[in-house]
Amino acid sequence: MTTTLRPSPRTKPGNRSRPDKGSTPARKRSVRRPRTDLRAALIFITPAAVGFIAFFLVPAVLGIGYSFTDYRVFGPVNFVGLDNYAALFQDPLFWNALGVTLEYVVINIVVQTVLAVGVAVLMHRLTRSIVVRGIILLPYLVANVVVALVWFWIFDYSSGIANQVLAFFGVHPVSFFGSDVFAIPTIALVNVWRFMGYTALLIFAGLQTIPKEYYEAASLDGATENRMFWGITLPLLRPVLALVLVISVVGSFQIFDTVAVTTKGGPVNATRVIYYYIYELAFEKFKFGYASAISVVLLVILAAISLIQLRILRADKSDLG
Amino acid sequence: MSALTPTRTASTSPATRIRRRPIPIGKMIAWAALLVVMLVSLFPFYWMLRTALSTNADLPTGAGNLLPVGLSISSFERVLGITQPTGTGGSTASLNFWLYLRNSIITSTLITAGQVFFSAMAAYAFARLRWPGREQAFFIFLTALMIPPIFITLPNFILIKNLGLLNTYAAIVLPYFFMTPFAIFFLRQFFLGISREVEESAMLDGAGHARIFFRLILPMSRTPILTLAMLTYITAWSDYFWPLLVGSDDNVRVLTVALGIFQAQTPQTGPDWSGLMAATLIAALPILILFLVIGRKVVENIGYSGIK
Amino acid sequence: MKHTLGTMRGRIGRRSIALIATAAAAALAFTGCSASNTSGSSNADLKGQTISYWLWDTNQQPAYQQCAADFTKKTGINVKISQYGWADYWTKLTTGFASGTAPDTFADHLNYFLQFEGQGQLLDITKQVKSANIDLAQYQPGLADLWVKDGKRYGLPKDFDTVGVFYNEDMIKAAGYTDAQMKTLEWNTNDGGSYEKLLAKLTIDKNGVHGDQPGFDKNNVAVYGLGLSSAAVDAVGQQGWAPYALSNDWNYGNKTPGTTKFNYGDSKFTGALTWWRSLIQKGYMEPLPQALSETDPSTGYLGGKYAMVTDGDWMNTTYLGQDKVPTKVAPTPVGPSGKRASVFNGLSDGIWSGTKHADAAFQWVKYLGSSDCQDVVASKAVVFPAIKTATAKAVEQFKAKGWDVSGFTVQVDDKTTKLLPIADHWSDVQSIMTAALQSYLSGKGTVDDIVKAGDQVNALYK
Repeated sequence: MTTTLRPSPRTKPGNRSRPDKGSTPARKRSVRRPRTDLRAALIFITPAAVGFIAFFLVPAVLGIGYSFTDYRVFGPVNFVGLDNYAALFQDPLFWNALGVTLEYVVINIVVQTVLAVGVAVLMHRLTRSIVVRGIILLPYLVANVVVALVWFWIFDYSSGIANQVLAFFGVHPVSFFGSDVFAIPTIALVNVWRFMGYTALLIFAGLQTIPKEYYEAASLDGATENRMFWGITLPLLRPVLALVLVISVVGSFQIFDTVAVTTKGGPVNATRVIYYYIYELAFEKFKFGYASAISVVLLVILAAISLIQLRILRADKSDLG
Repeated sequence: MSALTPTRTASTSPATRIRRRPIPIGKMIAWAALLVVMLVSLFPFYWMLRTALSTNADLPTGAGNLLPVGLSISSFERVLGITQPTGTGGSTASLNFWLYLRNSIITSTLITAGQVFFSAMAAYAFARLRWPGREQAFFIFLTALMIPPIFITLPNFILIKNLGLLNTYAAIVLPYFFMTPFAIFFLRQFFLGISREVEESAMLDGAGHARIFFRLILPMSRTPILTLAMLTYITAWSDYFWPLLVGSDDNVRVLTVALGIFQAQTPQTGPDWSGLMAATLIAALPILILFLVIGRKVVENIGYSGIK
Repeated sequence: MKHTLGTMRGRIGRRSIALIATAAAAALAFTGCSASNTSGSSNADLKGQTISYWLWDTNQQPAYQQCAADFTKKTGINVKISQYGWADYWTKLTTGFASGTAPDTFADHLNYFLQFEGQGQLLDITKQVKSANIDLAQYQPGLADLWVKDGKRYGLPKDFDTVGVFYNEDMIKAAGYTDAQMKTLEWNTNDGGSYEKLLAKLTIDKNGVHGDQPGFDKNNVAVYGLGLSSAAVDAVGQQGWAPYALSNDWNYGNKTPGTTKFNYGDSKFTGALTWWRSLIQKGYMEPLPQALSETDPSTGYLGGKYAMVTDGDWMNTTYLGQDKVPTKVAPTPVGPSGKRASVFNGLSDGIWSGTKHADAAFQWVKYLGSSDCQDVVASKAVVFPAIKTATAKAVEQFKAKGWDVSGFTVQVDDKTTKLLPIADHWSDVQSIMTAALQSYLSGKGTVDDIVKAGDQVNALYK
């Protein structure tokens, strides 16, 4: 199920089976290894499992439980069966939230991933400089809420520098966060700024795993940068790209801070992303049961998307050459 | 293949992996692109600095000025607790900056140490060990990523309160101490790439899994582990909401929470802009230094050593 | 601390019961036990106790620190004050309620009051108020009643606010108006009266043409006569549409507190709104997308982009406390009803029902609602305290600072204030009306949409 990323001297490239099979018979195939490492695995997993169960699983199960009730944080808990789920399918705000979030995710992920891969490759090929890397990562060092505030300030209609620059070029000032056309793209681009460096760093770490020999060989054969990128870099980046995409998409769906600071769901409902809607329901309207139901639906959607991504990208496998 | 023609691949430094061309136009464009990205990343920080060095009252009138307006370092004095923060958004309590800095360092270090270590153990089990239900278990751990934090916050808060740990370092650290799905996922992807032979030969020599893990896998994965440690540290450092909930007492309050006083305090007034910008810059500084120090090590150990 | 498991519908398997049991157990753990603290300890027993008090307004914190110090001297009870920013304040409070770690006392707001009461988180202080013989007439009329539900009292008035119009003195003078004229402006739904005339004059486009001159380009305005606060486009419209609708012979609903029928479908409301929106269409008022893309109109005002901004006295420090733009406050204009109008809002201090120091907490709340503390608040000249004598003191302090706040107080003196609606389902009302009003102001929605929204709101109470 797992393969090496580097060519083993004893196997032909492309052989996905355990490298020992059919190779030098001088060595015993499987040493003292029992058929399963279950006991060892359990020991290694236990601390993480404790944390997972206590701080993730139990709350999640509780949340799923609430989705079948009309829990209002205070007061009696009444079982309402699937009422919440029936209600959300008929809730225009829910569908609006899904649509708005989808628009956001597409813009955000496409721009962010393309840029991140590009920047990572550029860093990989052009420079070792710690300064360059530091600068690219800088946006990640600022807390979410502050990033939103800074950009809100930069894009402020009257006193923000963005409109001042536009005015300098004779362009009419733009309502970045107030126009229902610009609001979501603006929020998406703000978050691209925030996470692009972090994503690039992850991809960069993955680029380190690609053996130099491949590039040298290909270069000898006359391959262009372009060919090498598509033929060597991308395929061998697959495990890390899978990681990056899954993490980014899931994180992107959970956009909240920027909306809470700048648009608060407006204008009208143009930026009422799903996570903000859930928050409003839970902490302002105290409709915790209903909010839980929407959260469960979100969880299922994300799990499905991640599963598909992992399958398509065959995240647990890697090409050899 | 490559060993036979040394002249063609004379230098293997990254800069010349690009095939030699008479005029490196491609390289110039590449550098230009990288510079643009760096500029875009940097500009808001310049803007933060410019605003931090300005006076709040002058900001609306001097909107188009690229330089600080009403130049003064009073905002930095407010942040460092040298002077009192003033009204118009800021709180009137004075800031015990160094105490909060200490608290941030303690909590971030604890979180990073625990999380990286325990996640590495789990990642090892998911990547290198063979056991039934492994992939399914991994996916379940992964779904922890997708649980909306809102589910988690309230129950965790109550759990911490029931454990009697409110307003302690433990409260701030615990939910992240054992794992995050990201840490496990990240390390698993890298552990997957370690060649089997190294492990097999170690086992032949009689090493158990523990020995293999500590003596072999961990040292080989120095780069990803350091990278993860750095990212975890930064994430823990910038965390705001959870420490706000469980760590309000002064003796455990972390920097991000303390600096929240520069954000809008009442629904109608705005933040203390210059103070907030100064606070952000100062809060990011320790992390930047950490990055430069550790980053250097990461760069020096470039070349992930799956097989020597 | 009762919780019931309602009716179980349909056939339920064992797993579902386990799930419900878990949820119920969790609810048990979550629901703070509503304490009925009638410990009846005397004042002497209270000495040495410490109670907690939360507030959000940093501007007022120094005043309350002093009140706390005076209070401790008087009663021996210590008060630990914590301040959290507005956004964090309510989350921390709610989490505190849910987990049993809420503060003993805290500043309460009408937006949340009914919610907390409905959740059983507020301590009923009716008996204590009676036995302490607190004179409710000492407060500005109407304020004390805001904090009563079903005959039970949950707080004492703390301070109040009204709305006025901050204006740029230089621009007003340039338009040929005097301060005295600013106090006698009128508006109407036909031609906007002297108010709209002023706005037209104050508005200047990029080419220097004023709003009342031919050739005025409403698409390229450099200075708007009236700014707009995005926060004002909601179900209350306090610093937005309320001064107009309320002076158009209209009121929010059937009664308050406990509104059960709203009048958003009324033609007097839509009439006022239509005129208000026309200001945008004519180019005299800042358009909605611009307002939504601003942190606050005060930055635009201080940058010379708006000549006047309607806002509440809580913004006094922002507008009157700066020295870049000479600013004064005018009362809101008189409407077709023959009077002007402003929303009358107030805050109070509440006690958590789960407090372990109910008596000490009440002593503190009583002190906060007394002249001793409110006079201290008045002396800092930040807000208007609720006690009439304290209000007068505050007005004098403002004068001593050089701020003329008569634009705000005239509404109280002339009794032209109207109380905020206080209703159940308030958050839903807000969501519905905010969406409808934002849509209307941006030009997309019609009057019919507003009426429909009004019906939707009233359906919540059927």
